[in-house]
Amino acid sequence: MKRWQPVSVLSDIRRGEVAGVRIDGREVVLWREDTPTPALHAWEDRCPHRGMRLSFGFVRDDALGCLYHGWQFGGGARCRLIPAHPQVRVPASIHVHAYSVREHAGLAWVSMDGAEDFPVGGTGPDNVQPVRTLHVNASVGALRHVTGIAPDAGIAWHGPVGLAVHEPVAGQGMLHVVRVADAEEVPLPALSRWAERLRDAVESGAVTDRIMNELAMGELA
Amino acid sequence: MSAGVVLYDWTPDVRCYAVRLGLSLMNMTYETRAADMDLPMGQRPAGLRPGERPPVLVAGSVRLSRPGAIMQFVARQPAVARAWLDPAHEWMILDWLDFGATALDTMAAARDIAFGTTLPVLPPMGALVAALRRMEDHMTARAMEGHDWFASPAPSIADVVLFVVFALTVDLGVERDTCPALRRWARRMRGLPGFMVMPGVPDYA
Ligand code: FES
Repeated sequence: MKRWQPVSVLSDIRRGEVAGVRIDGREVVLWREDTPTPALHAWEDRCPHRGMRLSFGFVRDDALGCLYHGWQFGGGARCRLIPAHPQVRVPASIHVHAYSVREHAGLAWVSMDGAEDFPVGGTGPDNVQPVRTLHVNASVGALRHVTGIAPDAGIAWHGPVGLAVHEPVAGQGMLHVVRVADAEEVPLPALSRWAERLRDAVESGAVTDRIMNELAMGELA
Repeated sequence: MSAGVVLYDWTPDVRCYAVRLGLSLMNMTYETRAADMDLPMGQRPAGLRPGERPPVLVAGSVRLSRPGAIMQFVARQPAVARAWLDPAHEWMILDWLDFGATALDTMAAARDIAFGTTLPVLPPMGALVAALRRMEDHMTARAMEGHDWFASPAPSIADVVLFVVFALTVDLGVERDTCPALRRWARRMRGLPGFMVMPGVPDYA
């Protein structure tokens, strides 16, 4: 089955920014164009030139430049400039592997197996803002269980707070926290600290019910 | 004043890198005496006293060897911009400076183990990972308050030392995607005038 995974809050990948993320042990570069309508891209984190990580590179307008020898790749994931040979028309065969990526509910969603049919609608409220992404030294299975994410769902809503997880490598998890934008009754700093307490509890194998209950009650300690 | 500042420097040492980075960012002129600690005693520069290990900063009668003290000394020089040790945020800067200097010591020890032996021994990373996590949580909270730097509105000497901690943990196998807030802050550090890299450590976040 083709599936979409939430891999980052959108606030960690703003206009002109590059970030490497690991998804199921594979390295992916997320980058956003530095243009008035900046599209988000998710590519294999590997430069076709010498295989260096593209996530060490830099965004120039609507292209991603590799740090090492400056090869530039445009939105279509094709190489369009080799600085050492600026006159050369770059063959179309030189390109990076691109994954499907969508922006939804304050998160970047990536499909590693080329899904195109993004299940919009029915996944929660509109007008959601990103809060933060945290690394958790625990399995995604444990995290999904604790956060109440159903097996076929990408995100669990607890009132105005959305929780999602993905697996960077086996045995570890990334917890993504989002919130309905106008839900001021749950202040962002308090929500962020709440997520830290949940992370620490999950990692130490402590009971998490009480922490999750704070969310249900809308009373973050 | 600056004419008389001498730094005994050992290039691959993390504490020396922190000092070089701080001196460069604060635009301080100084003289370098390279001290290769892998060489026998007799071949080290004459000014270094027995038992001393770089970094050592000498300015007149002042002789300093701890990165935190060196940073403060430089930041208090009249020619240096006050923002590096902003009086309005001095205690918070000093607190994070101390935190960073301690982490730097841990890191120096971990690197000694990681690179000083041919055995596949993993350095004790627990303390460093815990330090990075505290830094990540702090910078996440700072970003929510609209702040770009650790302890004050502008970059301070705390940011300098903490940057070295963050930048060099990649050498020890800490993955960058586990620290999104630190990654964004580190990119800002790299954009500062006077920023310099650590030889042998790739310049990336
Ligand atoms: S490895 Fe990317 S340009 Fe050479």
